[in-house]
Amino acid sequence: MSGSENEFDPEGYRGPLRDRLLKDKIRTWSKVSVKKGDAEYEGLLLPRSQHTDDNYITLKVDTGYNLGILIDEETIITEIGYQKGQYKLPHVDVKFKDELPNVTLLGTGGTVASRLDYRTGAVLPAFTPEELFSAVPELISTVNLTPKTLYQILSENFQPEYWVKTAEAIGREIEQGANGIIIGHGTDTMCVTGCALSYFLRNLPVPVVLVGSQRSSDRPSSDGPRNILFAANLAGHQDFAEVAICMHGSTSDSYNLIHRATRCRKMHSARRDTFRTLSDIPLGKIDESGVTWFKDDISPRKPIDDFYVDTKIDTRVGMLYFYPGMNPDMLDSMVDLGYHGVIIIGTGLAHVGTDVYPALERCQEEEIPIVMVVEPLYGFAQLRVYETGRDMLARGVIEGENMLPSAAYTKLIWTLGHTRNLEEVKEIMLTPMAGEITNRESPRGFMLLQGIEKGIDNILKNL
Amino acid sequence: MLDPNNLDFIKLGFHAGLEVHHQITSDRKLFCNCPPILEEDPEAMDYSFFRYFRPVLGEMGDFDPGMLVEFEKNYKVIYFACERNTCTYEMDETPPFAPDPEAIRKGFLLSAYFNCSAYAEEIVVNRKQYLDGSITTGFQRTFICGRDGWVPVNGKKVRVTNVHIEEDAARRVNWIDTSSRTVYFNLDRLGVPLTEIITEYTDVDTPEELIETAKQIGRVLRLSRVGRRGLGSARQDVNITIEGGDRVEVKGVQDLHLFDLLCRHEVVRQHALIEIMEEMKKRDIKKEDFEHTYIDISHVLNLEDGSKAFASVFPKMKGIFGLEVQPNKDFGLEVFEKSMLITGIPRKYQFHSDQLEENAVRNRSDYPCSVSISQKDYLEICSILKPGLSDAVIVVVGSERKAMHCLKKIVERVKIAIDGVPQETRRFVQNGNSEFLRVIHGKDRIYPDTDTPPIVISLDKIQEMTKDLGDRPWEVFGDLNDKYSFSHDQIDLLIRDEKVEKFYDYTETRKIDANLAYKLLIDLPREKRRSGVILSNEIIDTIAEWLEKKDIIAEQISILLKILLENPNFTSSEIKAKLGTRQIPINELEEMILSKLKEFNFVPSTQDERYSDLLVPKVVGVIIKDVGYAFSGEYLVEAVRHVISKQEDE
Repeated sequence: MSGSENEFDPEGYRGPLRDRLLKDKIRTWSKVSVKKGDAEYEGLLLPRSQHTDDNYITLKVDTGYNLGILIDEETIITEIGYQKGQYKLPHVDVKFKDELPNVTLLGTGGTVASRLDYRTGAVLPAFTPEELFSAVPELISTVNLTPKTLYQILSENFQPEYWVKTAEAIGREIEQGANGIIIGHGTDTMCVTGCALSYFLRNLPVPVVLVGSQRSSDRPSSDGPRNILFAANLAGHQDFAEVAICMHGSTSDSYNLIHRATRCRKMHSARRDTFRTLSDIPLGKIDESGVTWFKDDISPRKPIDDFYVDTKIDTRVGMLYFYPGMNPDMLDSMVDLGYHGVIIIGTGLAHVGTDVYPALERCQEEEIPIVMVVEPLYGFAQLRVYETGRDMLARGVIEGENMLPSAAYTKLIWTLGHTRNLEEVKEIMLTPMAGEITNRESPRGFMLLQGIEKGIDNILKNL
Repeated sequence: MLDPNNLDFIKLGFHAGLEVHHQITSDRKLFCNCPPILEEDPEAMDYSFFRYFRPVLGEMGDFDPGMLVEFEKNYKVIYFACERNTCTYEMDETPPFAPDPEAIRKGFLLSAYFNCSAYAEEIVVNRKQYLDGSITTGFQRTFICGRDGWVPVNGKKVRVTNVHIEEDAARRVNWIDTSSRTVYFNLDRLGVPLTEIITEYTDVDTPEELIETAKQIGRVLRLSRVGRRGLGSARQDVNITIEGGDRVEVKGVQDLHLFDLLCRHEVVRQHALIEIMEEMKKRDIKKEDFEHTYIDISHVLNLEDGSKAFASVFPKMKGIFGLEVQPNKDFGLEVFEKSMLITGIPRKYQFHSDQLEENAVRNRSDYPCSVSISQKDYLEICSILKPGLSDAVIVVVGSERKAMHCLKKIVERVKIAIDGVPQETRRFVQNGNSEFLRVIHGKDRIYPDTDTPPIVISLDKIQEMTKDLGDRPWEVFGDLNDKYSFSHDQIDLLIRDEKVEKFYDYTETRKIDANLAYKLLIDLPREKRRSGVILSNEIIDTIAEWLEKKDIIAEQISILLKILLENPNFTSSEIKAKLGTRQIPINELEEMILSKLKEFNFVPSTQDERYSDLLVPKVVGVIIKDVGYAFSGEYLVEAVRHVISKQEDE
């Protein structure tokens, strides 16, 4: 438990109740008796969560249940014993086997392996090898896994410089001979990190697999163990060398889908099978019987010689979600604030309203690249079809093809790190680097169930 | 083995307690907005999916031993779900919504009924791990409402330690093959609000007291109107221990009539296990005597392809596996039911050497061995294993991995036989015996739910939530017995049929005679139900209302009912209208009355008042029918009296 200065610190308690516990030398994790009128309670005094009422204690009673009791002036509370919880998984001795590939797991946070935090009542990542291996013992016989912790942050707190540090760490691991990399990542912005890494890691020689869990690992039903096992198989044993996301493909614990990071998006706030490949089909799927590849344009493993990490970035990039009624002053203010480039998510084929034209003209004058992507997420930005689009093209905007918003955003950050020349920016933005733009769109790219489930064609026919 | 029909429970140090699980009435499930409705067909489904489960650490940093055994079972869990009663919450695909405030209120109300001296002043939702697949999250969300209450049972107080509100588990479908590694559940029941009422497991000393405890708790659920009615809405787990034994929980007993049988068979089992412990000690058997050595004897037996047979020697155990521990079940089978459930090797593929004896219990058990081992085979096995004269041998047949796993579990179970009765959760089977279900779950399987913040329950709130507290069943018994000398069984029926409130309304507000009110509320509906007719509360209330207004007299009820039932869609005003349709001139009516009086041999001036008091209702009862209910009973009573007095005057 972090943050306790001394053993008498009543963790998490605040205000007068804290003072009283301190005065009476009542510690958290001590066994206490509480008398209040006719009522008597006995149990362990647990640390108190944040954002809860100051005047209550949390007690774990003999049956293991927790409950809260209001401590007022008449309440008598006495310590009658002490038993500190040791949240620790059993020790596991891990010996590396020569025949197994070496895989490094870089933890950045998230809930692949995690534990409870009594301060917040929330889940904290726990990434020691012991914890990981006792939670998922099958890992030991899959790969020689070295877990390392880069950060312990929630993925919404990621910043572009974290992508840089992550890429550099991957680079070091690959230089030192790792046969594959797993990135443990919170699922909220996993795709954004995945996109950035796709541009940073040039001529990637081994797989980099991002993985997380939609149900935290403090639950018996967690999807984390299967996700990480499949990720380990991919990173250690499979012949591909791309930045991929490996998460549940179905609500069942049946198979995981392997998504190209630049084409992948989180599409549900909570489901296990939240990740979908958009405007294309996934690279493949993996289950207990192995990997089935669906795509034939997958980059194979290659020699390390040409591999390098290019993390030159310019973070003065913003993203605007256009909506009817949007005041163009939002774009103007971005120019005023000195942004170097803007992604605009436009309606339909990537349009904005005509009242935004003056602001676009100003960007054109000040040589600030505007890249248009589509609000429907599926399909291409096509500004030559309607008058509006042509008017926009005339004002210098770049059609972002079928880049997903996060793919375009991270790509513009990377591109502006290399050049601010508008023509060069446009050329880089429109040249596919890591599958973020597909030259063609297969009809299967817009199928609800990814177009790969058995019998789905028949189901769709019969609808 | 003791005779189950001849047991001295007090002498044996029998103690028992109850965990009553009862669904509570609600409009929604506890943690989502799905309606709490069940499918008629438990295998009904719109869609299906499957999952696996893993144990997680309790907040004290320990794996619960019971959970590790559950994980070892390695179940694949298949769920059936229907759109109308299942959402992404039951699928464990979305976090919980705030708990149903009505369910919380009912939990506190029940706590008040049970005289709880301590309430949860802040509700902390806990997670109780279940890896059997019955809950998609792998844990049940549950919280304490009240503690330290009691119910009176035969003159003593049985302590109610906890009153919980929790979500019900999914319904197991297809419980046929307990050795299968695939289990099926329907999600319709998952999340239905449930109360769990726990009594101190040492407070009850006889099966009769246990039944009465269950009844008292049941009456509270009825009287408070908190309990949901209907099949499957209540399930009791019984905790049983005897002197020298340990706490054993027997699950899934729905019928109170089976409590006595269940207690007897469990007492016999614990007693037998204690005797086995003593016998093992007498033979100087130590845990270290049992080794995890499994010898492949496949070549001796005639096995199917892919099957293997492994054998192990159990030193000094000869004769013990054959001891009867429950009627028609020997100790060997007791061991095998556990190794079967964990490893999936059916009991019939598990053999122990005592079953070769003449009249062996195993051979008349429900699960005789199907591995064919002749005396000659056995000698050959012995020539390989070289057991001593007092040793026993166990053989398991199955796939190599499973068979070895199974023998491992057998050795582990036999080792702890030296400790006597293991703490277990067991499943009741219809013949009164029980089977191993899991190692008893400890407190390490409970940890706080991080998805639901604690809910402060102020004292004002507790008062507000318990304001509907009425008389408790035992208070109702006292009152109705004092006032009306009703028998225990009569009052029990009033409570069970949830008619106590109505009864007080009829007798005290409407001033209906108590016996008549009882007849109306209990006898009549029960009598009609037996002939397949359900009397609605509206019909009963209508009759009560007419009785109150003296529109009818008691004797007319059955005729009136007939009309009501023949015209089930009639509203009371329609029936009244029908009553008033036929106009009969007064003189005609009086003539009818007179002729009826004569039929009843009425002779003016010779009758005393008491006789006419008896006669009047009889005549009214017949006339009212003849006139097609054109006049109210009250009116007819007056009319008959009028005719009588006219006759007497003449």
